[in-house]
Parts: sequence; structure tokens; C-alpha cells
Amino acid sequence: MECISPLLAAGSIGDFLRTQRVPFCGCELDSATVLILTAIIHAAFLFAMFGLVPFFFIWLERKVAGRIQDRLGPTRVGGRFGWLQSLADGVKLIQKEDLVPSMADGLLFRMAPYIACVATFGAFMVLPFSDGWSAVASDVGLFVLFAILSIEVVGIILAGYSSGSKWSLFGGMREAAQMVSYEIPLAICGLIPVLAVGSLNLTEIGQVQSGWFLNWLVFNSPFTFLAFWVYFTVSTASCKRAPFDLAEAESELVGGFHTEYSGMRWSFFFMAEYASMFLVSLVASLLFLGGWHTGIAPLDSVLTGLRETAAASPGFHVAGYVANLFGMMVLASKGAMLVFVQIWLRWTLPRLRIDQVMTTCLKYLVPMSCGLFLCQIIWPLVVISAVGRSTLVAWPEEMGGSIGERMGRQSVTRPVETDESAGQPGDDIDESAESSPESLPAVTESQDKVSAGSVRPHSVRTAARD
Amino acid sequence: MTDLVGHFLIFTIVATVLLVVPLLVGRLVRPWLPTEEKDSIYECGEPTIGTSYIQFDLRFYVVALLFIIFDVEVAFFFPWALVFGGATQLMDPTLSAEARSGLTDKLLNLPSSGLAEPISAETAHTLALTGLCDILVFFGVLLVGFAYVWKRGDLDWVRAMVVHARQARTNSTSLLIPRGGSASGGPGGTTPRETAVVP
Repeated sequence: MECISPLLAAGSIGDFLRTQRVPFCGCELDSATVLILTAIIHAAFLFAMFGLVPFFFIWLERKVAGRIQDRLGPTRVGGRFGWLQSLADGVKLIQKEDLVPSMADGLLFRMAPYIACVATFGAFMVLPFSDGWSAVASDVGLFVLFAILSIEVVGIILAGYSSGSKWSLFGGMREAAQMVSYEIPLAICGLIPVLAVGSLNLTEIGQVQSGWFLNWLVFNSPFTFLAFWVYFTVSTASCKRAPFDLAEAESELVGGFHTEYSGMRWSFFFMAEYASMFLVSLVASLLFLGGWHTGIAPLDSVLTGLRETAAASPGFHVAGYVANLFGMMVLASKGAMLVFVQIWLRWTLPRLRIDQVMTTCLKYLVPMSCGLFLCQIIWPLVVISAVGRSTLVAWPEEMGGSIGERMGRQSVTRPVETDESAGQPGDDIDESAESSPESLPAVTESQDKVSAGSVRPHSVRTAARD
Repeated sequence: MTDLVGHFLIFTIVATVLLVVPLLVGRLVRPWLPTEEKDSIYECGEPTIGTSYIQFDLRFYVVALLFIIFDVEVAFFFPWALVFGGATQLMDPTLSAEARSGLTDKLLNLPSSGLAEPISAETAHTLALTGLCDILVFFGVLLVGFAYVWKRGDLDWVRAMVVHARQARTNSTSLLIPRGGSASGGPGGTTPRETAVVP
């Protein structure tokens, strides 16, 4: 208890570490060490979740599969419902012999599962689990997430290539072709809510969806609504889940890319797969389904109020912590619901053929996502010139106003990230400025116009009334 | 930037260490009894024929090229989308003064100080239209290329179908031509093929 109470009083792990002293020399920790230690602790916490999520979802998959096939699924291990089945599987897998075929490229063969796992795990670092609960609060969060997540495919391709087996090679090559195709609509569909919000910061995207569930980005326009379904399809495919699991098609390729793997190394691929299912579902919840908001405005305003008081007051704030924990539960339940649908799809739809998978992507999903992207670009321009405001129906004041209204107020009231490990906020600002070279001339131009025309906000308001 | 990269580095190290632990624990309990049969490649119980380190089919190459072009373009969409999104939000004339100044600070990448002159709805409209023209040209070039690749048949996974369709176009009696004969058409026809032929 003695060591926990200062941790609670400090408010965050970083603050706590700053007050601590090095055991032997008694000197204080410098800021770089604090940052590194905080990051390591965050990573360890996230890894615990990264390990537990597959445990739960593998059990869920077996139960759901059993029910769908009119069986019971696991029933014995751990008492009722067989809820410890995954642990039993894990214990079994640890005892399995670690085989490396003599024909395989040993180094790459042993390295591949790590790459697949690390890439999926790394993508969790920018994900906010609740308001400000992310390891890194980055202004380019979504971009970084997609970038890191796409490294996973390298691990799969390496596994397929280095096994020295033709089944594995076919599986790896299919995965390569499939992933590089599905990356395109995935990124474009991820861009569509960004167009509405005007931010890549996942925390901001989550915050802007507060209020009633009609404020969720999935209901922002007809095109974000459609984009959600396209995104869900594509994200299912990008986790190589059935009906798109051509890389490991048991009936054609024995095991696909993991034919030659055994024991723990084999299970690493599945950890990565289930974790990435959860990850893309969490991203879908954040981008489209309101993030950590329940969608019930009175409840959400209470929770947001608690979080803001907690962020404003120094030290640990129990109510704010509980509100954030609740938000995390809400987000995780939304993610788990989407994972459940992915599992449901797997046991309902037959596997596609590889040419059908590629046709679905390149001839349907890519043109669809491009079309939705263009429509979402034109939509606000058309709506504003047609009805004179940014929403088709007048968005009532108690809903928080239009998305621009919410976004603007939010950046006024909450300018600084409340995250504990946000580092120097200057870093993120510099970075987003660097990454948008084409935007700079337009912005400076508009700034000139503003100063030349000297249009004040109140004159805009009166002009609008006229 | 250093924050992100540093975090990714730390996350990589932590994940690798924590993944090695179960393997090291397993080393204490798992057997290690290699035999020649066990170390061989599984090919349905038969002795393997040839090596699997072979050339890939060329159509992966076309898909990969397409991916690179698309992905680079999409990477450039992200910063553009931020500015365009901010501009379309500012276009709303019913926006409150407070929200307008917040959005302006965000769009101009200023610290939230309220010092900057708020961008008016008209200016934002001009900015949004400029952004629209930019993206239409930028995206249009890509889509023309995409349409060309589609028309050329590079998006068809089964090349035999392309050859078949071409023959059907030139020859009105194409129904009489056996389908299997031209299955190895295309530039990558001589390399071992993926099991993609329609059964």
C-alpha cells in the first residue's frame, strides 16, 4: 500500500516517476528517463491486453462456431462454459516441439512471427482507449496506425517464403496480393471520417462524437454511413478472416503460410490475427461508432464532466478515472461486438476463391471507396450552398451543434492534450506542419485574405442572418 | 516525431522480449527429437519435388505496382483531408464565433490563443474550392491510370479469361474455342502458377 498511494496521488505514471528517486544514488530521474520508463510501462500494460484479447476471442470463436454448427463448443476447462479453454491450449502449445524444416531459411523462419506480432502490437500505441488514454497522443495518429498495421503483412510473406514449402509460398503470395489490394480501400475508407472531422488525431475524432448517437460519424452523411460498411468488409479481409482467409485456406493449401510452423511460434500468428481483428474493430468504433461515448447524451455529458474535472485538478481523481475506465469498457464492447460479427461471418459464409477475392477488392471495393471519398468531398459543398448550413436538417443546440461547431468549441476548451506521456506538444505540431506541404500556400493565402478583408466573426453572423 | 519513433522502438523491444519469454519457458518443457522425416517439408506425405524458392508469378507484380501508386497517393490525401475538412467546417455561416476562432487556430496550426483573425465563411469557401480542384486533378490522374489498367485486363486474376475475352472480341465464333488451351497466356505463364484457375 505504501508504494501504491503515491502512484494514486500522482495522477499519472509519468508524474509518479518524476517524484521518485533512484534507489542507490538518491538522485532524481531526468525527463528522458521518465519518458522511456513511462513508455515501457505503457507497453507492458498494452502487451498484457494484447495477450489477453486473443485468449478471450479464441474462446469466443469456438463457442460461437459451436453454436452456429449446433454443437456446444468447449464446456469443461475452467468449470462452466469452458472459459479457460484458451489457457489450456496455451499450456499445450508451450510443450510442443519447435520445428524448423531443414529446407527452411532458419533466420527468417524464426523472425516472421515476431514481425507479425510486433506490427499488430505497435499499432495499439496510438489508439486512445478513452479520452486521453493512449500511450502516444499523436496528431497523425490514424496515419501512424495504418502505417504500422501494414507491416504485419511482411511477417506473413516472410513466413510463407522462408518455410521452403510450396503450400506456404502460395499462402504467403496470396496474402501479399490480397493485403496490398485491400490496403487501398482500407486507407480511403479511413479517410472519409477524417474529411468530416478535419483531424487525424484519434482522441479528437473520438471527442467530437459526443452527445446523442446521431452525432456519431457513421450518421454524419450518407457516405460515411456507406463507408462504414465498406470499411468493415475491408478490415475483415485485411485481418485475413473468412470469407477472405485465402492465405491459410485449409482445404486448398493445408495451412497456407503457417503449414510448417508448430507450437508457440504458430500461436504467435494467431495472437497477431485476433489482436488485429480487435484493433481494426476498435478503429471502426473510434472512426464511425462514437468511440468511448455511449451515445446517450445525458450520460455522456456527466462522464465528460467528470473527465474534465479530473484533467483540471492535480493528482489522482477517482471519479475521472472511473469515467475513463467506463469509456474504455464502452469502446471495448463496441469493438467486441464488431469482432463477434466477424466471427459470425466466418462461420456463415463459404470461402471465396482467390480470383473472386481480388475481383471483389479491385473491381468493387476500390471503385466504391473512391466514389464514396469523392462524394464525401463534394457533400459539404453542396449542402452548404443548398441549405446554407453544414447539416441537412437543423442540428439542435442540445445536440451540440454541427460537427464543425463541436470541433471548434472542443479545440477552444481543450487545447492541450491531457495525456500523461504526450511528450513535447511542439513535436506533433511541427510534424503535422511538415507532413502537409501542399496545404501551406493555401492556408497562408487565406490568412492574407482574412487580414486584407478584415472580416470579423460577428459580421459573419449578421451576414448569415441577412 | 522522435516521440513516435521512440515509442515504436520501445514497444518493439518490449513485445519482442515478452514474446521470447514463452519460447524460453517452453525450451525447458518441450521435447527436441529431430528426425529426418520430421525436418522435411510437408507436401501431403509425398517426397517433395523440387525447391519452393522459385520465381513469383508476374501478376503479383502488377498488383504491387498498382498498390504503390495508390498508397503513395493516399498518403498524400491525409494532410490534404485535414485542411479540406477544416475548410468545409468553417464554410458553415451559422458557426458560432467561438467555434470559428477554435477552428481557425486548428486549421492554421496555431496554439489556441485567439490571436489569429478568424477565417470567414467566404474565405473558407474559396479555400475549400481550391482544395476541391487540387484533389480532382490529383485524384483524376490516378483514376485515369486505374481505368487504363482495368481496361487492359491487368485487374483480372485469371489471365485465361482476358485472353478468352480478347478472342471473343476478335472472333465471333469464340464459343467454339476450348477454354483451357490459352490458360498459360500472359507474361508470367512459364513460372509455376498459383492455384487460381477456375475449377
